[in-house]
Amino acid sequence: MPTTITEPAADVVILGVGYMSGVIAAELTLPGLTYKVVAITKGPYWDYVNDFSTTKYDEWGVGLGRKYDSPLPLQSATIRNTPQQFALPVRRYTMPIQYHALGHGVGGAAQHYGGTMGRQGPWGYTQKSSTVTRYGQSFLDSVNPHSDLEDWPLTYAQYEPYYVEWEKAHGLCGDYNGSATNQPSDTGYPWMSQNYPLPPSPLTPVGQLFQTATQALGYHPFPHVSALASQPYINQYGVPVNPCVFDGYCGGPCDYACETGAKANAAYRTIPAAMKSSNFTLVLNSFIFRLDTDPASGLVTAARYYDPQGNVHIQPGKVFFNGMWGYNMIRIMLLSGVGAPYIWNSVPASVSGAVGRGLTNGYLPYKGTNVSGTLPSNGGNAYPAGNGSGGSVDIYDLMDDNFDHTNLNFIGGTEVGAGGYPGGGPGNITFAGSVSSASMGGTFKATQKDKYLPTKTTLSSTPFAHDLPTTDNYIDLDPHYTDIYGDPLARLTYDWTPNTYNGAIYLVNKVKDIFTKMGAQNVTIGSPVPPGGSTHNDWWGHHLRGGCRIGQDPNTSVWNKWNQCWSPVLNPVFNIFGAGEITNTSGDNVPSGTHVAGPQSYRAAEGIKQYLALATPGILP
Amino acid sequence: MVDQTRREFLKLGLAAAASAVTASAIEIPLFGNQNSSMQTQLNNANTQLANLKTRVNTVVGFVSLSITEQSLLEKIVETIIPTDTDPGAKEAGVIYFIDRALAGDYGQSANMFMDGPFVPPAQTGPITVGTQTYSAGSPKVRVGAGTNYQYPLNLREFWRVGLIALQAYANSAYGGNFETLSSANQLLLLQDLWGNKPTSFGKILPSDFAYEFTFMTWAGFLMDPIYGGNQNMVGWTYTGFNGVNFGNFYGEGKDQKTLMVATTPTRLKPASLAQYQQQASGSS
Repeated sequence: MPTTITEPAADVVILGVGYMSGVIAAELTLPGLTYKVVAITKGPYWDYVNDFSTTKYDEWGVGLGRKYDSPLPLQSATIRNTPQQFALPVRRYTMPIQYHALGHGVGGAAQHYGGTMGRQGPWGYTQKSSTVTRYGQSFLDSVNPHSDLEDWPLTYAQYEPYYVEWEKAHGLCGDYNGSATNQPSDTGYPWMSQNYPLPPSPLTPVGQLFQTATQALGYHPFPHVSALASQPYINQYGVPVNPCVFDGYCGGPCDYACETGAKANAAYRTIPAAMKSSNFTLVLNSFIFRLDTDPASGLVTAARYYDPQGNVHIQPGKVFFNGMWGYNMIRIMLLSGVGAPYIWNSVPASVSGAVGRGLTNGYLPYKGTNVSGTLPSNGGNAYPAGNGSGGSVDIYDLMDDNFDHTNLNFIGGTEVGAGGYPGGGPGNITFAGSVSSASMGGTFKATQKDKYLPTKTTLSSTPFAHDLPTTDNYIDLDPHYTDIYGDPLARLTYDWTPNTYNGAIYLVNKVKDIFTKMGAQNVTIGSPVPPGGSTHNDWWGHHLRGGCRIGQDPNTSVWNKWNQCWSPVLNPVFNIFGAGEITNTSGDNVPSGTHVAGPQSYRAAEGIKQYLALATPGILP
Repeated sequence: MVDQTRREFLKLGLAAAASAVTASAIEIPLFGNQNSSMQTQLNNANTQLANLKTRVNTVVGFVSLSITEQSLLEKIVETIIPTDTDPGAKEAGVIYFIDRALAGDYGQSANMFMDGPFVPPAQTGPITVGTQTYSAGSPKVRVGAGTNYQYPLNLREFWRVGLIALQAYANSAYGGNFETLSSANQLLLLQDLWGNKPTSFGKILPSDFAYEFTFMTWAGFLMDPIYGGNQNMVGWTYTGFNGVNFGNFYGEGKDQKTLMVATTPTRLKPASLAQYQQQASGSS
């Protein structure tokens, strides 16, 4: 018979144990600190030696079966394109792109990411005001109807020291960011007060070609920033890191499970540091389902979770950190009445609330806005060797406001790169581009012969300007479906915004020029499918950005400049902090929402310490 | 060869025996000279077991598909990946991969979210679900997307319904069971399903079933042999995939970083998960 168990009170209770939570845990259990810290995750602690090193080489069980990811019968989410539609639940993990996989356990979704990183530059933090200043309010209104774009509460320069700490903790590889000068005055590129802690992985032949071609075209190429350690490393917490072994068994065939721990995530960088402290408690396989609040004080008093036996545990705490991934960060707040839930209205001026507001995505959007070509003399073992995200070369020149948008119909742009390990096991490679009626018979079979031993390389890119927040894309609770415990699932309402589409149409021609300069043959651009009622809206659900934003206005954002909850409406609760891709304010601007979220976790760790020092609980100044 | 063994298997009705044969030997701890006749019986039993194992290949034989499903599905997978000068679905044992998948977690939809209500995609509005009315219906979804499968059937049931409907369509549109059609017509029929040509198909959308069998056939050709398909790694040899041979599994002496930055490919003989685990555990 399940019982209710009240746990000893903690100073800090961490909800979910992914990237951001790992930083909070490590920073608040440093030697000399006396905070009692408890971190709770719904999954296990994946040990790369025992869990991955002999079992991950299994595309069916891991890549397709997703045995390291969150089980869908436990919890799913529902998805629709407009507020007038019924939302369909995600029922299964499918191929070729694994739809909507939540992570499960310590490390969270970073257990199944490729390790792509890259800072967000100065423009990203002020893109609303910068756009209005340079191009006018009417320009912004025209490129982003129903715009809900906001500036961040801090500038790039204010986040820069936190970026440094975050990159040191996780051992990122790279070599600055393409800036010719790397000066603080350089607004076009993310200036760095110090370089990435590790050098980049060796460049692939295609990466080198891209480097030469983009230099010739006047761009500023730099090695792709990766979270896969290129060398042995020890971070500032004394946690040792193994280097990548370049075995190529990365990505699709094994769901990015890393058998050496070379790929950064909380399980192998920050949580091991916290584990050294007797003040830290890690609770595994436990599903948080509610936050208790005290209406009189306006405080969260405890987190409630189910253990694997179904017992209910009450974990009291002084301050809480919401580090859950994506929609779960929002869902736990909506289920608990923490903060003001976002209420959609077809009239932008009539919307209200902030929890669930400003949802954007970070995934390639439009069918047909791709460009491809063939490099006739570049083949090789790109599939059987390599790693998840190193070896390629990028430019930021077509991103942010690094080019004039005056006569264009979008803002922002995209990072363009080439030369990375293509990834994928035989299933992923064969099914790339999806399974169709063309995937049958002897003719198709012939196209698969020696596919893993290419004598030429296909270049392909789907550039897109970043996705901007609108009042019509948001998250709320689904009225029809529940998780296994009976609580409503998160409902995602989202459709592509014109900014991404128009940006893609423009940028695809720029990429075509680069491919041509590289010597590619038959460089062709696909036939774009415009937004609206599209059937290709199913790949974005696992790259959510925004939706639980930091900001400058408590009416439109959940978190303030300390990543502290400051909702003034309904339930003023200020002893909860949060950070994650979902707290990124202004839509996707760089390949890695995680890298942009990372500094916020260091900021929140400082905020939590300051909060615990307050004589009277309240909003931090 | 595979085919013949399978038929023998069916004839003998050895489905139950298959699991017994998977035991490598029977062992009972004996102390000192205790009961030498028991030891003799044990030796005899182990000899019989060894003999049985040489007769029955445990990789073939069915644990899920019925006899009629076997003969139909065999022809479907051989249409999707035909045997030419290179091995196809037949040599890879794709049908055994699908059989085992349907008998296990895949068939049970063990990792799927299976709560109702079940509302098909692409419904034009208005539709009413429970007490709610949705003026714009339900979203359009790509075949094979995670939100596309909206049936109150687990995948084993879905395949049963799909195979029956396919055979019925073969008879109504092509005048005979699928197995009796020309190979050209077999491919045409499967393409009909992708194009949703059948107007009645057991209450499922034909293209949803077409996605499933096309995907599972290729999976059976390309996944690790431990799951019953890709026998002798013929699928990996065909596509040039290296499995877990990262350059030195058979002592080739290749360095992975060098392979990564090479411009011409190096063919590596594939190695399977079972081989890798044997090597990792130090056994032969």
